[in-house]
Amino acid sequence: MNQGLSRRGFLQMVGAFGGSAAVYQAALGMGLLPAVAHASRPDIAPLTGKRRKKVVILGAGIAGLTAAYELRQKGYDVQIIEASHRAGGRNLTLRGGDLIDECGYPQTCRFDRDPDLYFNAGPARIPGHHSALLGYCKELGVPLAPFINDNRSALVQDDAMFGGRPIRNREYITDTRGFIAELLAKSLKPEQLSAQFTGADYTRLLEYVRQFGELDARFTYTGSGRAGFARHDYTGPETLKQPLPIAELMKSRFMYLMSFGELDDQSAMMMEPVGGMDRIVAGFMAKVGDCVRTHAQVETVRLTGNGVEVVFRHKGERTLLTADYCLNSIPLQLLAGIEHNFPAEYADGFTAVQRGKLFKIGLQMKERFWEREGIYGGISWTMQDITQLWYPAHGIHRQKGVILGAYTFDDETGEKFSRLAPAQRIELAIQQGEKLHPGYRSYVESGVTIPWHRMNHMLGCSARWDDSVRAQWFKRLQAPLGTHYLIGDQLSYHSGWQEGAIHSAFHAIADIDRREREQAARVVAA
Amino acid sequence: MRQLTRARQLLLATAAFIATAVSADNVDLSYCTVCHGAHGNGNPAIRAPKISAMEPWYLRRQLEAFRDGVRGTHPDDAAGQEMQPVGIRLRDEAAIDAAIAYVSSFTPKAPPITVTGDSARGRALYATCASCHGPKGEGNQTLGAPALADRSDWYLVTQLRNYKAGLRGSDHRDTAGAQMRALAATLPDPQAIDDVVAYINTLRESR
Repeated sequence: MNQGLSRRGFLQMVGAFGGSAAVYQAALGMGLLPAVAHASRPDIAPLTGKRRKKVVILGAGIAGLTAAYELRQKGYDVQIIEASHRAGGRNLTLRGGDLIDECGYPQTCRFDRDPDLYFNAGPARIPGHHSALLGYCKELGVPLAPFINDNRSALVQDDAMFGGRPIRNREYITDTRGFIAELLAKSLKPEQLSAQFTGADYTRLLEYVRQFGELDARFTYTGSGRAGFARHDYTGPETLKQPLPIAELMKSRFMYLMSFGELDDQSAMMMEPVGGMDRIVAGFMAKVGDCVRTHAQVETVRLTGNGVEVVFRHKGERTLLTADYCLNSIPLQLLAGIEHNFPAEYADGFTAVQRGKLFKIGLQMKERFWEREGIYGGISWTMQDITQLWYPAHGIHRQKGVILGAYTFDDETGEKFSRLAPAQRIELAIQQGEKLHPGYRSYVESGVTIPWHRMNHMLGCSARWDDSVRAQWFKRLQAPLGTHYLIGDQLSYHSGWQEGAIHSAFHAIADIDRREREQAARVVAA
Repeated sequence: MRQLTRARQLLLATAAFIATAVSADNVDLSYCTVCHGAHGNGNPAIRAPKISAMEPWYLRRQLEAFRDGVRGTHPDDAAGQEMQPVGIRLRDEAAIDAAIAYVSSFTPKAPPITVTGDSARGRALYATCASCHGPKGEGNQTLGAPALADRSDWYLVTQLRNYKAGLRGSDHRDTAGAQMRALAATLPDPQAIDDVVAYINTLRESR
């Protein structure tokens, strides 16, 4: 490169010849930007025609609210029809006095009224790369706080190891790694490596293995401070814990979960809105709440020659709406029961996609006993049905806290819990929680249970696309049918995440914008 | 199951922990159409049958059966277990009357034909059914037998299987169900169930 040309100057030169895409590619090559592509917010052209285009949005979840917020700013006439008593969809934060609208078991949450005593029953964490959602948090003034997802001091419990006695997460991970590293170091021979490896590479590889497992000078694992010390009394020397017997550790299915905190969506830095995930809904509602109609259940969606007709029912009265465009986030499993005039090659997809049966329990504890055990935030794992306990990272050292007492992803377990009445679900969760924290029962003051496949107006969370269903249906359902667009996290490659819902809305409104721009261009040409 | 039974036994002990049940006057009839679809015309995606155009007397008997735990309590009847707590919500006759009136307001639609079977063989098997449900599947209130034609065909299959397996009609209070259970037992195999339902589908045109 020319000596007199700065890196910034070079980029400007590239930009002059190749446009911004070339600048971006060149910047990647120079290591100035991480090579991550994000879905960006569509740049919607303001409507210029005399008639404001009408858009009816079905469902006031994150996808619908996003679309309404964007389109309204550009002059579209937007209405949101929401079946439930509230906006937000599965973005649901429960506080004292709130209705838990489960089919057959409507309940009122009985948590104390306190800013720190709430439960995020749907989405509860935001990874740092969910840039669209984080962008809205910033724009809508939703303050965020760190969310602790991975806590090596939290517990791992499995009836299959140590007779069911819980150990610390750090003990499992450190001691199994130490064992694996020692095994590898002692069995690895230079002649096993391919010709590209030199003697120096072999030494470096062994050094990596030593660091991986924290082996001693003779490549033996004798315990590591990463597993935690036997005592934390700094008036005397630290004492390492004895490594746990590997045969016991290997009995646990936790080996399939131990990398959870390293996943793209689950690793630090994770965030949560201060005061509950529904602060995001409140932020959107402050902007578009006046166009949201709740308690309005859609009965019919019909394509007409030049738009869409929707019939909804509100307090026993039917209303017919006509619109140029319809953005529909009604869960596919419910859409299958709504009247429509869609062709089978579109509508058969509604029943082809299966619904997930995620289940959560929140428990108000009269004392934050976990903090006395050195657990501040994070997740304890158990191989029992409840799967996880989450400790709140907000309200640290206050008297009370709401913990997550169960979060199950497995549909069979979700069904098992849902078949019980709410009080029985909580009883089961308490029995299982006792195995992690003796005396657990005595702290429980009240609880909420949310089986998402039994929640009114939802009946599922989240969409389960297996590969063959994805291959057969995704593109067909993602593409508009006339001016009808399916949206929601269900129409993304990231179901169960708000970011997926937002990207689906971007995809649909970008297409509406394209059509409007084309129409405007035709008008100008004429 | 042992664990669940134990949990049931402990129900009383934990009554203090639960969130408060919402009072009965808050019955939300939108529940009916959330699951059973707009106008109650059924939604196979969530195993909810067509309820529109169902006879009011039959609706009442089934809602009461769910409410009283006569139906939907067998541990293997997962779909019935979803309906059962909804039945419990209908605590008094006024609530059941309101639900029946709501269902009566629906515009019924013929459900799609989804079951394939040998309707000729089904016709022979249907002779037993006809004595109560009528030669055209029109039903007979005096005998307590509902109409069968124009119901969700996949649901008829499920219910015949449920009767045969004892998931429905096993409760000692369910006298009508016990009769159906005995008659379903005479259908020799799963194919016979499909065949008889395939025949019932042909009755739609003749009515």
